[in-house]
Amino acid sequence: MNILGISAHYHDAAAALVIDGHPVASAQEERFSRRKNDAGFPLSAIEWCLDYARLEPDDLDAVVFYERPLLKFERILTTALRAFPAGRAAFAHGMKNALGEKTWVRGNICAHLGVPGRKVLFTGHHHSHAAAAFLTAPSDAAAILTADGVGEWATLSLGRGERRSGRADITLQREVRFPHSLGMLYSTFTDFLGFQVNEGEYKVMGLAAYGRPRFAEEVRRLVSRTGDGAFSLNLDYFDYHRTVARSYSRKFLDLFGPPRSPFEPIDLATEAGQRFADVAASVQLVLEEVLLDLAVALRRETGLPDLCLGGGVALNGVANARLLAESGFERILVPPAPGDAGCALGAALYADRIHFGNPDREPADHPFWGPDVDPAELVRLGREDNFPVERLDDGPLIARTVDDLMAGRIVGWMDGALELGPRALGHRSILAAPHDSALRDRINRDIKFREQFRPFAPIVPIEAADEYFELPPGGARLARYMSGVFKVKAKHRQALSAVTHVDGTARVQTLERSIEPRLHALLTAYGRASGVPVLLNTSFNLAGEPIVNRVAEGYSTFRRCGMDVLVAGGARMVKPALARAERQEAYA
Amino acid sequence: MMSPLRRLVWSDVGRRARILLRFAEVEADGGRDLVRASEATEDPILRGLFLRHAADEARHAKLFRRRATDLMADGAAGAEAASEWLAQGERGLDDLRVEQESDRDLLAFLHLSESAAARDFQTYVKVLERDPGTREIFEIIGRDETHHMAYTLKQLQRLDPKRHRWAIFKARARRLWKAYLRVAGAIGAFFGAIVLSVEYFIVLPPFAILDRRALRRETPGWRPVDDARARNLSRQY
Repeated sequence: MNILGISAHYHDAAAALVIDGHPVASAQEERFSRRKNDAGFPLSAIEWCLDYARLEPDDLDAVVFYERPLLKFERILTTALRAFPAGRAAFAHGMKNALGEKTWVRGNICAHLGVPGRKVLFTGHHHSHAAAAFLTAPSDAAAILTADGVGEWATLSLGRGERRSGRADITLQREVRFPHSLGMLYSTFTDFLGFQVNEGEYKVMGLAAYGRPRFAEEVRRLVSRTGDGAFSLNLDYFDYHRTVARSYSRKFLDLFGPPRSPFEPIDLATEAGQRFADVAASVQLVLEEVLLDLAVALRRETGLPDLCLGGGVALNGVANARLLAESGFERILVPPAPGDAGCALGAALYADRIHFGNPDREPADHPFWGPDVDPAELVRLGREDNFPVERLDDGPLIARTVDDLMAGRIVGWMDGALELGPRALGHRSILAAPHDSALRDRINRDIKFREQFRPFAPIVPIEAADEYFELPPGGARLARYMSGVFKVKAKHRQALSAVTHVDGTARVQTLERSIEPRLHALLTAYGRASGVPVLLNTSFNLAGEPIVNRVAEGYSTFRRCGMDVLVAGGARMVKPALARAERQEAYA
Repeated sequence: MMSPLRRLVWSDVGRRARILLRFAEVEADGGRDLVRASEATEDPILRGLFLRHAADEARHAKLFRRRATDLMADGAAGAEAASEWLAQGERGLDDLRVEQESDRDLLAFLHLSESAAARDFQTYVKVLERDPGTREIFEIIGRDETHHMAYTLKQLQRLDPKRHRWAIFKARARRLWKAYLRVAGAIGAFFGAIVLSVEYFIVLPPFAILDRRALRRETPGWRPVDDARARNLSRQY
């Protein structure tokens, strides 16, 4: 049975293909269109998935959209009505926005793919998140918590997933509905702090480490706990349900002061800069408190050892680590793409297991579902443009790359199938030595062109992780897809200064040899040479651009920034100036 | 003829800052499209030129943004964006999907786009005599645009010595069509907003009253999830 999953129209459009219960391909549209967070109908991603599996649209048994568009439309309309008469602009904007292809999804899919309407199915938004989290997780039974800005109506859902007698099932039992939303709470502060909503939330998390939560009481006034253990927002402080212009109200500004201009850099040496950091720390703390309360209650209710987290809020690695430490769950399982992109895969899996009742399959516990790397392309580009490039076998390639890293060079690393989700997990990464903060600053300045306060993540072989990081039980699993933030052991902070955040933490990725043998070999070899088998690992992209997909994109990125070396599969390219220096060194 | 009008548009410092910010966005978008073009082309000469051009656009974006920030720091924030259509900059590559364009068509489109921008920027230099900081930026960027205009034409002649004029003619027709679509879209959006406003204030109030009553009965907190409904994947509602 061939099932195509699609997420689209709001953010992170993606496609996923499931054949006979096994995921075989999945990719985000932005990786093809090269427009970050591309929300358009993911035609290129769909084409790639079908081409990869050598299928035609006629071969599909079902096409599953990740949410129910008419239910979403109802929420948009109702929200505008409830804000009457102040909601006129929101109503006009919402109607113009929704009445196009966003509402007529079935017809749109039929028109694009030429499939009959009866083959087009719809899952609930939070059911897609839940399926993406549970049906890809190695767990027989788990509690499920999904939280994001908003789906159709739900903003947070609780339930459980079970595998029994070769069948899998997911039941969401209760939900909190819009406008009460932890995701919108965090996004409102993202907006207030001058970052782009749905994009800058991780910057708020990074900034929080520089602040003290001295506004925590004020943030708690925004979020009340309801008698039944849920939460509600005090809507007087918000405007996102009334207008499209901004998320926060005048009353919010009275509480927290003037917002940051997006065009002014944050200077932590100033009073204003410190206030923004303190506000970020405060909302982070309150988010953690609410999530923790919900998780503790869920653990008590289900008695299950595993918690599957889905939705955009699950990208908050600091909160995830706190849940692992304090909620009572033994494992927190977060998929590599807990946001809407992963919903394409979740929707397809939900249809396969629950709607069609197909037998459960061994979960494919890795993030590599996209297009592969072709080293021959790098060789061709290098030859055409007179850039020094060579093909190397694994041994020499690893040895040369270790030499590069030891020499303080910055390496673009492309290998294997593209990751699904926002994190570069070793197939489209920029790698560097982890000990040198000057190198970190150079990457921020010359390559990523981004704010100085944002940290870089380390990658470590799983067997060495405990030596360098304070991982609680279950921590290595949470770090598998960079979903948790943990303390760097004090004795190693100097050696890992480029990847240790100001509060002594790091969003570490633990790497198993089986999911990425070549990178594992590189880490091990680097460990032998330097004494520390850890590398700085950041996504292979420049600011404002999606992570690279094909070699041509890696190559153009390499040429436009201060990267020194580019490795694509078994091909290695260096900047001409570096090649000249290497030749001189060889002659000397 | 447009000069007095443009002088008026640029006279307000707040509006000037907003326009510069929009120019910065357009330049940054255009730069990304040129990167995409460099990735899509099979021609090594064009690849290098597009990458250089993309770097120029990124630099322009930075110059515009910095100037806008300076103006805002001087208290120029908050002006509305009215009449911005009177101060067009480079339109970037519009909604062109560069990977689907031939090198020839892309060069012709770029050539016209850069020519239009160079012309517009010359006008802005003239009307901004009281703001030497902004004027200097337009002078710098205008020089780059002239260079871009020249290289795109030269490359077009290289690729298609006999029919490059035809390519430019076609690109001009496409630009006109896109301009028409933009105007038509703006008119449509204007009337759409009027119709929706009328609907909101005349048709919807009874529903709004009913909905507000329903809202008063709702208590915040948990809502049960209808499992049977969730398992029915045929429903869009």
